[in-house]
Order: sequence, then C-alpha cells, then structure tokens
Amino acid sequence: MKRILVADDAAFMRASLKLMLEKNGYEVVGEAENGMVAFNKYKEIEPDIVTMDITMPICDGIKAVRMIKEYDKNAKIIMISSMGQECFVKDAVLAGAKGFIVKPFKEDIVLNALSKL
Amino acid sequence: MSDILQTLFDSEEDTQKDKHLTFIIGKEIYGIEIRHVTEIIGIQKITEIPEMPDYVKGIINLRGKIIPVIDVRLRFKKEPMEYNDRTCIVVVDIKDFSVGLIVDSVSEVVSIPENDIVDPPDVSTGYSNKYIRGIGKIGDDVKLLIDCNKLINDEDCEKLIQV
Amino acid sequence: MTHNNNEPMLEMFVFETLQLMDQLEQSLISSEKDSGFDLTINEIFRIMHTVKGSAAMMMYDNISELAHSIEDLFFYLREEKPDKIDTTEITDIVLDGVDFIKNEVSKIQNGFTSNENASGLIKKINDILINIKKLNTSSKSKLDTNYVKENNNDQKFYISSENVNKSKGEYKYEAHLKFAEECEMENIRAFSVIHDLKEVANITYYYPENVIDNDTSCEIIQKEGFKIEFMTDLSLEMVKDRLSHTLFLDKLEVYLKNDDEIEKFETDQIYNNDLYNEKNQIKEVKEIFLDDFEDKHKDNNKPVLNNQISKKTVVPSGKQSVISVNIGKLDMLMDLVGELVISEAMVTQNPDLIGLQLDSFHKAARQLNKITNELQDVVMSIRMVPLSSTFQKMNRIVRDMSKKLNKSVELKILGEETEVDKNIIERISDPLIHIIRNSIDHGIEETSERKEKGKSPLGNLVLEAKNAGGDVWIIIKDDGRGLDKEKILIKARENGLINKPEDELSDDEIYSFIFKPGFSTKEKISEFSGRGVGMDIVVKNIEMVGGTVQVNSAPGEGTTISIKFPLTLAIIDGMTVLVGESRYTIPTISIKESFKIKNESIIEDNNGNLMIMVRGQAYPILKLHKYYNINTKITDIKDGIIVMIENNSRILCVFADALLGEQQVVVKPLPKYIEKAKGIAGCTLLGDGNISLILDVAKIFMTF
Repeated sequence: MKRILVADDAAFMRASLKLMLEKNGYEVVGEAENGMVAFNKYKEIEPDIVTMDITMPICDGIKAVRMIKEYDKNAKIIMISSMGQECFVKDAVLAGAKGFIVKPFKEDIVLNALSKL
Repeated sequence: MSDILQTLFDSEEDTQKDKHLTFIIGKEIYGIEIRHVTEIIGIQKITEIPEMPDYVKGIINLRGKIIPVIDVRLRFKKEPMEYNDRTCIVVVDIKDFSVGLIVDSVSEVVSIPENDIVDPPDVSTGYSNKYIRGIGKIGDDVKLLIDCNKLINDEDCEKLIQV
Repeated sequence: MTHNNNEPMLEMFVFETLQLMDQLEQSLISSEKDSGFDLTINEIFRIMHTVKGSAAMMMYDNISELAHSIEDLFFYLREEKPDKIDTTEITDIVLDGVDFIKNEVSKIQNGFTSNENASGLIKKINDILINIKKLNTSSKSKLDTNYVKENNNDQKFYISSENVNKSKGEYKYEAHLKFAEECEMENIRAFSVIHDLKEVANITYYYPENVIDNDTSCEIIQKEGFKIEFMTDLSLEMVKDRLSHTLFLDKLEVYLKNDDEIEKFETDQIYNNDLYNEKNQIKEVKEIFLDDFEDKHKDNNKPVLNNQISKKTVVPSGKQSVISVNIGKLDMLMDLVGELVISEAMVTQNPDLIGLQLDSFHKAARQLNKITNELQDVVMSIRMVPLSSTFQKMNRIVRDMSKKLNKSVELKILGEETEVDKNIIERISDPLIHIIRNSIDHGIEETSERKEKGKSPLGNLVLEAKNAGGDVWIIIKDDGRGLDKEKILIKARENGLINKPEDELSDDEIYSFIFKPGFSTKEKISEFSGRGVGMDIVVKNIEMVGGTVQVNSAPGEGTTISIKFPLTLAIIDGMTVLVGESRYTIPTISIKESFKIKNESIIEDNNGNLMIMVRGQAYPILKLHKYYNINTKITDIKDGIIVMIENNSRILCVFADALLGEQQVVVKPLPKYIEKAKGIAGCTLLGDGNISLILDVAKIFMTF
C-alpha cells in the first residue's frame, strides 16, 4: 500500500484528497497545512508520495519541494495547482516535482497521476 | 413488543418504505410511517410542565435525553384512560426533534404499499380526521394512517410556543 | 467527482469557508485602517485562492469564479505593488464579495441551492483591476524580463549537475506526446518533459517552440500533441520507459532517427485505461470546468511572477495544536458527563448502602467523585470560547454604519480574550449588532454637532468584556448624546407602561422602558435601527441564554449598556424543592435564605395576597403550587418551607412543600416543542432519575 503525505492549507482539500485516496487503496500517513510542516513530516514519516499544494502560508509548496528534494532527491511529489498558476507549476517542476494535477480535480485524475509514480 | 423492535431495527432505509407501525387507541387501529419511529418504550414517570394543553403530558427522561410526551388519545379529543402495562410511548423523530406519543398499545409492523392507501373521506367523521393522511387497506382491515407532522406541528403547536 | 451528496465534505466546506470569510473580513478592515494592504495582502490572496479551489471542487461555480476574480486582483496588487490604488474602493468591493460568499454558503448550509449570480460583482472587480492597471502603467514590464533572466539561471541550477557535462548524443530520437484531455496546462506538461529529458539528453528541437510564453501553445499541444527531438546515449527502451512515466500521457510515439533514416518503432496507446470507461459521464462534468477555464485563460495576460512569496507573511495560521470539533459532539460529551455525574450520585448515594460499613467503598467512591469533578471541569472549559471573533465582527458593523451615516466613530475593543460558554457566543452576536447600531445611529452625534458641544469630533464606542465574580460582563459604551429621559417618559405614558406615580420612578426604571416591546423614541426610522424591532428583542435574546441587561446614561455624556451572563450556563448550584409530585430547582445565586415558618406573622391583604413579616419587613409570598396549579396536600404556610429569592433588589418568598437538598445540577434546555414554559429556565436530571424544572427567577418576578 502506497503511503501518502497530503500537504494543503485547506482542511477541506486535505479531506477531499484523503477520501479519494483511501477509497482507492492508498494510505494517507500524514497531513500538513503548510510547506514547513510538510517538510518536517516528510523527514519523520518518509512517505512514498507527497501531494503538495502550491499556495500555502508560512512556506509555500515550491519551497517545500526544494527542501524535500534536497533532503531526498528521490522524493516523489505531485503538485496540486490551479489554473493561472502556470508559472508556479513551472518552478515546481524545476524544483523537482514529478508532475501536477489541476484543481478542481476528479478522482480518476488523481488516481491516474499517482499510478504513474 | 421485542419482535416489533427487531423489525424496526432490522429494516434498512429502503426496506422501510411502505412499512407502518400500527397502534391502538380505543377501538381504532392507527398507523404511522416506520421511518419516523425511533423507539418504543413502556409508560414511565412523566414530569408535568405547568400550563400546557392537556394532551401535552410533560417530559420524560429517555436515557438522559429530555423529550416531551403527547397523549394521542387526548390529542384526538377522546376520553382519557388510566395508563396500564399495555400503554406505550412511541418515540418519533420529526424535523430534528423527538416526541413521545402515548398510545393504548402498539400492535404490529405492516407493509402498506402506496396504492393501497386511499384519501380520507371528505366528510368529517371526527376530530381526529384532520390528522389522518390516508386510509390503508390490508385485506378487509382498515388502518387510519396518521400524518405525524400535523399531529405534532398543527396550529395548536403555535399556541404552545406562545404560552 | 462531485461531493454534493457528501455530507461530511459539505460540512467541512461550509465550516472552512465561513471561517476564512471571517478572517478575511478582519484582515480587510484592519488593512483599511492601516491604509494599505501591505501586511495582509498575502493572506487575502491565499484565502481567496483556497476558497476558489474548494468551491470549484464542490461545483459552486459562482463562488469559485468570484473568488478567482478577487484572487486576480490581489495577485496584481501583490506582484506589481501599484502605488495608485483606492484602498476603500477595494475594501468595499471585496467586502461585498465576502458578503456574497457568506450568503451563498449559508444557503448551502441550510440545504438550499447556491443560485446567486456573481457576474455583476465579478465585472466590478475586473473593472477595478483594469483601472488600477491603467493608472499604474509605469516601467513594470521591466520586472517581467528581469524575472525571465533570473529564472533561466535557476533552470541551470536545478538540472542535476552530474549529468550536465556528460556526453549526450549517440542516438537521435523524435518523440510525439499527446496528453489526456482533462489534464490542463499542457504547455507546462511539455515543459516538464523537456526538463526531465535535459537530464539525460541534448534537446535539439521541439514544437511548439515557445511552450511557456506562448499563449497558443496549450491549444496546439492539446490538438496536435507535443513533438520533441533529442540526442541521447539511452536505448530506445530506456527512452520509452522514461517518457512513459509522464503524467497524463495519452499517447506516446518514439522514433529512432539515424542518418535521415527514420525508423518508427512503436506506437503506444497508454492512456486507454479502465478508468475512462465512463467517459461520457465524465465529459459532461468536464465541460463545466473547461468553459470556465478557457475564458479565464484568454483574459489573463498575466505577468510572470517571482516565486518567492514575500517574507512579510502576517497572521501565522499554523494552529497545529488546535482542532475543530463538531458542536454536536461537544453537546453529546456534555450530556454524557452530565449523566455520569448523575450516575455517580446514584451509585454512591444508593439507598441499599445505608447502614453498611463500607470503608474501602467510600474511599473508591471519593476517588471516582474527584475524577468526575475534574472531567466535568475539563468539559466545561472545552465549551468556553473567547469572545474575540464575535467582537471582531463588530468592526465591520461600525465601519459600514459610520460610512453610510457619515459619522466618524472609533470602536475600541477590550477584553476580547474573555471566554464564555459557546451557547452565549451563538446568541450574543445579534444583540450586540443591534446595540452598536443603536449607539451609532441614535447615540453618537454628527461630527459638526460634536464639535459644537466641545467633544472630540471622533465618536468613541467601547466594547468591553470582563469577568467579575461568577459572571461575565459585556459592556457597550458610547460617548454620544445619552438617553433623553423626557422623551422616554412621554413614550412610556403613550404606551401605558407607567404603573406608579412618575415622581417615584428612578432613573434606572425610566431607562429600562427602552427594553419594552415597540419602544422607539426616534421618530425617523433609519436603515439600520428602529424598523419596529426594538431593544425588547435584544433583551429577549440575551435572556434566552440566561443574561440580564442594564442601561445607564448621562445626558450629553453617553450611554452604557451592560449585559451580564453567568460564567457557565450548563452547570449551576441549585436548591431543589418538592411541590406535590413535582420537583423544582431554584438557582442558589438568587436565594437569600430558606426557613420554616415559626413565629413570623403572615398578613393577608384584601385580595387574598399573602405577605410575611421578616425582621420588620413585609415580603410577598408566592405559593408555587398555586402559581403552577399543582395538586399537593401541603397548602398551609406553616407546613411547608419558604425560600426567599432576590432579583434586582426585589424580594419574594417562594412557598414549597419541602426542601430536597442543595446540589450542582446540569442545566438542560426544555425540548423545543415545549419552548418556553411560564417561569421555567430549563430542566435537570436529579440523582434519582427524576426530572426537576429549573425556575427562571427573573421571569417569576416579571410575571408575579
């Protein structure tokens, strides 16, 4: 079972993802409400995959990707982005994110993306 | 009574359709939709609330929950009767609050499909008529189906709140 | 996937969105005060971004679109930092947006459909944005080019250095990639492929060429796919494997190109998975989103942005140690603890134990008692919520009111950290709004009038909360013109409210007429207060949660309204008495003393009303059994007991059959169905399982 860390500042989004993932045989092993927490939790629980929101308080998703990739260059991170965030997504890709999903997303989109990692 | 309860709690949402709990007041058999019924309990100590209409008997302590109880007999303007060991309180849930209905006795759970239910006659056959939403037929038997909403929330309710 | 039928998600959406809207409202108002969005801009941007995303997930497109337009506005403000902006204009429009979202979300919360169209608001917001852009067209494009350069450097930095110097180029490949229809942002996906291949290959050509900066690249890639040529040492299998890990790849073709001889190797249909069996159904849903996005995509000629989020992030919201709990669960916990307290009493005071020598039992019982008491304290404290969010909401009221009435008013908030029971929080908001509106509308004078009177032109309004004894006080104080005693008296006379000689009326009594139904001295009914619903509703609301209201005023100096609440409503000390079969509990706080009649003389007046002489004073007697029409054998004053109760310096002697004891009781509301019974504040479960009705002392004085 793949272990997932969900990073998003919106509790609603975290819950949505968790619901989708757990229904489909993934295990959400951690949740983070900002990039700093995501980084700390990554080190602590070493999940297989991270889903990372871009816009978060304190430390945004891109910085978090950089920090995580520096810590573990094999980290698999999928960005959760929105339309209009192309530039951020590009930066995230440059920082080492494996790919991205665009909000609002449907369950099959998420599963499809995760299955490739 | 326990087998009725069993039927109650066995029945899932969709199988509850058409199911009615029947109870007796005087000579009449009444029915209410099972989906409103949460529990059936024996008569128990009722705490009177001052200055309520006569059919509002007061409140009871149902495992820590305080619920009001209504004497359906009095609600239908029938003669009051001493409570005995057959007297039951049918707890119904209507629009997010619970009310206990005091009835002479409960009888059974029956299935009455919608097409076996006819409208009540126009001629007023008694005070209780306005709380009847239909007449259910099972073979030759006739059951008066109660509109729980009206029974509890009818205009008298307004008066209650104003007290 | 829609969550429309998904209760917990809906609840979460509603809860979070409303919370964010409150937060946003506060940020806006404080920004406006500080005349600039410098400190709050990131927060506002982030909130709108979150709401946009969540609303889109729940398919509330109106909310999502509105949030998007506000997000765009603040995106521009954040990135371009234009100097020429009208803070008030922006605050106004965003507050309108907040109201819109709040309104729609509460519709959703109450089970209605959110159907309001936001396009009018969105247009206004877009117009403001366009206007700001027009006013601030200085050398901003410089920023863009700078950024691009900077970014190119970045790019090099992030390519793993170990691969950079390796020779790449034994084989030449050409790859065609098509992405799944729903994936969005095809250009960035192509960019991602380029970035990935750079690690292992020398890229010689790709089409469309300018994937990032060209607006049409998305469409081209969507329709024709993305073509890329590169040189690498990797075998075809390896290349294929690497590329096939690209997310949302629909179709991949890789050709080996050697010496102009094109060798087509394989065509892979990768994205034909089972997940898309219900394609039609999914498509339907998709269209809604696509329309939406395509529009925005065209409109937004967005500046490239710096990815470093400004360091000035304010209001840290990292409340990791705080969780939100459903209020229903909290109530349930409260009920259970209440029952635990009762059950404990039923065990430890069980009649079966009487006369037994049970030392170790009593020791264990004491321990149990200690733990239940502690548990009770903890649960009570969980229910305590600080008044701050309620108080902060008043900023908005004051802002809107003073703007519309053209008065300058400053609201000072004191003691907002004071905690009260969550029941109070729920009920206090509307009365406070009403009182504050009254103060600004009727109390505080126009600026010119204030100047004439030699007052400071700025009206002062103080909202204060404090603990005093076992009570919480909420005080609203203004420095306006004060209440007009004469006008109140005239109005009171008209309404026949005065039932004693006017010269005997104390100031307090005169002022308290304003709490009577239909009482308003202001002839002109303004938009904000008056309108028929008067202070009586305020008082009613406050009394419903056990509070009392007092008013104090000095002509020309201002008015103070003080609201008093018991610290916690859920548990009170009470004395339980018996009347016939019924039990009544009187809050100990209102009891002066209780006694059996011995030699005190009883006086009966002409109307059969009884009075009792205690220490030379005569007090009226209220026979509970008569008041409530209860059958009891004890009707003679000498056989029962007297409980002397006090309220607002009036004293009444309540007559009951017998005293059952004094204890802490858990207050439960009467069932909704019964609503308000005469003089009953609620009920409680006694240790023996009986229900006791709790007397509402203030009400009894009013109806006696």
